Amino acid sequence: MNGHQLWPESLLNAALPALLSASLLLLASGCGLIAAPASRPDRLIIASSSRLDSVDPAGAYTFGAMQLLSALGDTLYSIDRAGRLQPRLAADFPSLSPDGLKARLSLRRDVLFHDGTAFDARAMVFTLERFLAIGKLSYLLGERVSGVRAIGSHELEITLKRPYGALPQLLSAVNLTPVSPTAYRNHARRLLNDRFVGTGPYRLVSFSDRKQRLDPFLEFWGPPPANRGLDLVALSNSTALFGALRSGEVDVLLSTGLEIDQQAALHRQASRGRLWEGMGPPLEIGFLSLLTDRAPLNNPVLRQAVSVSLDRELISRRVSLGLRNPLRNLVPPSLEGTLPDAWPGYRPALARKLYRRAGYCDGKVLPLPLTFRSNIPTDRLFALTWQAQLRRDLGDCVKLEVSGMESTTAYRQLGDGAFPMILLDWMGDFPDADNYLVPLLGCDEQRGDRCLRGASAASGSFWAAPGLQEQLRRSAALPGEARVPLLRTIQRRAAAASPYLPVWLVAPRAWARLPVSQPQYDGSGRVLLQDLHRR
Amino acid sequence: MGRRRALFRYLMARLALAPLMLWLIATLVFLLLRVAPGDPIDALLGTRAPEAARAALRAQLGLDRSLGEQYSQFITQLLQGDLGTSLTNQEPVTEVIGNSLPASLELGGTALLIAAVVGLAVGFSGIARPEGKLDLAGRLYGVGTYALPPFWAAMVVQLVFAVWLGWLPVGGRFPTSLIPPAASGFYLLDGLEQGFHGGGWQILGGALRHLILPATTLGVLLSGIFANSLRLNLRRTLGTDHVEAARSRGLGEARVVFRHALPNALLPVLTITGITVASLIGGALLIEVTYSWPGIAFRLQEAIGQRDYPLVQGIVVVVSTLVVLVSLVVDVMVAVVDPRVSYG
Repeated sequence: MNGHQLWPESLLNAALPALLSASLLLLASGCGLIAAPASRPDRLIIASSSRLDSVDPAGAYTFGAMQLLSALGDTLYSIDRAGRLQPRLAADFPSLSPDGLKARLSLRRDVLFHDGTAFDARAMVFTLERFLAIGKLSYLLGERVSGVRAIGSHELEITLKRPYGALPQLLSAVNLTPVSPTAYRNHARRLLNDRFVGTGPYRLVSFSDRKQRLDPFLEFWGPPPANRGLDLVALSNSTALFGALRSGEVDVLLSTGLEIDQQAALHRQASRGRLWEGMGPPLEIGFLSLLTDRAPLNNPVLRQAVSVSLDRELISRRVSLGLRNPLRNLVPPSLEGTLPDAWPGYRPALARKLYRRAGYCDGKVLPLPLTFRSNIPTDRLFALTWQAQLRRDLGDCVKLEVSGMESTTAYRQLGDGAFPMILLDWMGDFPDADNYLVPLLGCDEQRGDRCLRGASAASGSFWAAPGLQEQLRRSAALPGEARVPLLRTIQRRAAAASPYLPVWLVAPRAWARLPVSQPQYDGSGRVLLQDLHRR
Repeated sequence: MGRRRALFRYLMARLALAPLMLWLIATLVFLLLRVAPGDPIDALLGTRAPEAARAALRAQLGLDRSLGEQYSQFITQLLQGDLGTSLTNQEPVTEVIGNSLPASLELGGTALLIAAVVGLAVGFSGIARPEGKLDLAGRLYGVGTYALPPFWAAMVVQLVFAVWLGWLPVGGRFPTSLIPPAASGFYLLDGLEQGFHGGGWQILGGALRHLILPATTLGVLLSGIFANSLRLNLRRTLGTDHVEAARSRGLGEARVVFRHALPNALLPVLTITGITVASLIGGALLIEVTYSWPGIAFRLQEAIGQRDYPLVQGIVVVVSTLVVLVSLVVDVMVAVVDPRVSYG
């Protein structure tokens, strides 16, 4: 080619910009020619990272599905903003038989399903039996309830397997929201993923995994929604969510799936009055599970030493930028029966003493493996920060060896005792102390201090204690405040043995643009979507 | 005639081998998924569901059966065109793929178009003055776009055009204020159809607005391969004997380039296009994640996280089939266009 002056040069000079322009035409057209479709000012757009596979209450198990169902459905009881239990579709609280095994409930008579049929005891029986048969979380009900029947048009009788004091709280679980027997006739024993016919303040107009459109249900029995409808959208990454609120593309943003630094940035903007911020009840706990049946952490003195080596305040400040409060209990402080400071705080001098008693320090350093879930950014930050804190404060006694593992892989190996120490989180299916203690301390089969089978083994700690299961059973059977002393005793026992180390408490947050009202949460940790409105 | 027969034989052989290849892929995916650590029950119920509930769900999903039974059911269903049922939502896998694949094809197709137009334009631009400024810029462009990490480039583009300037949507495939068309799944086509039938151009406009950023990002990132490939091949071809012969016959330079050099230089580009198409069908993951594009790659990533065995198997089988078909079509096209290719 060298030595030849190509004739097409002039052609190229003209054609190249033309071709480049053509390729950029799409961009340019988007910038100006293709106008954004006008959004309806009476509707609100709510964004989160939750892509939904199903809107069926029997199939729902993710936060996003629960949030959506809380707007579309209605439960027998609910927990209000102040944390008080309130009857919703139930006319009153249940009356219990003398042996505590039968609960009778009266239902509201003025409730209609979205398809116009009446809500009654038969519909509630249909819903509960359907959930027991095909519910992904059917064990919630199945472990406690042996049967349910209609004893009148609006009278329901629930038969319990054993006395259970927190039945109304259980019936506040959003999975138990009633569905219309007429609409679900062909789906009595299989999921109906893309339609929902319930009794809530909104009806589902359209459903796709990333977008759901909700319109107010005009015949809703309660106060009508404060807005004219909602569009719930899912964006798959944190930057997109953050950007969507910043650019005004969405009105409200839920914190699920949002990186902690972006949450902190929104929190700062809210503090400066540029956004509204709403915070829900902190019901998710982050904790370390310690493998108690194998060396080195089968030594209770070492577990105590590790327990007082954790500087929760520092870690919360550095890792969560102050958005997650340090936690020293397995039961969130907002729940009845909690014992807020059950676990000891950070005491490096005592830690050194305990490590010494276990034969470490003075030239012998305890190698302590910690596994974190590599797909959760805050877990990695926690591991690295705690590693640095221990190196700084107790480097002559203990050395944290951190390694990451994808969460699903880690969960599979938890019950095999694969991790000496692992960072996990947990949120009860409904807000009750039992839902935090039993899933961590429960044990179906134990030998001495070792749990062979059950929740404690599945959580990777394998810790059991004589009489503990009986205490858990008794606490579940006692109603209201009567069980508080027992709950506290259980927590003290767990803290003394330290099979788990509570780390922090996670509260859901939501941010709204200023033209919209401040997001409010109910006591179950869900945004009250029906209260949102343009100001 | 002999060449045509050889090509036909080659085509038949490739078609006959395709099922074997797909069976091997399907078997490998089936085995790898079961060997990989992790359990769909953990992904569905978490770790704290009681053993009885876990066992019940395991039985309900058919995961309690032996590996052999599961495999034989999988292959039998596959032969009948049934890809099974997703573990996470109990929907037929074909339906889940049917919902996601058009999104990926629409994004991939548009990106490929942009990549080809921009890449070929840039690649062609340097031939007027080899080693000149334009040529150097084209080379830098080729290397630069190829080297840019897609997730980083996508985030920067997203921040500039969607967040700071607010010109285009941050993510998603369709405006929130509109109901997506429930026709072919290809929103551009559906929008065009609606527009031509007097239903307004809102659907097309909305779909385009959402497509522009992901398609342009992906297209520009891919265009470097086209640019460099064309530039190198064109330079090589312009130095070959048959081009010199054409020049010596007194043909104009434009005719030499467009008639004699360019078709030869474009042949390797055709092969690259085939490979790119194959990788685009299942490989635009980072772009799909960044722009919340509901495509098949994103769905596959989620299914792997959830250990949704049937869905992962189904997606891999469908994508593999498409890749096999595309490579076959490209091979045939190359054979038809290039007389030097021999299949004897």
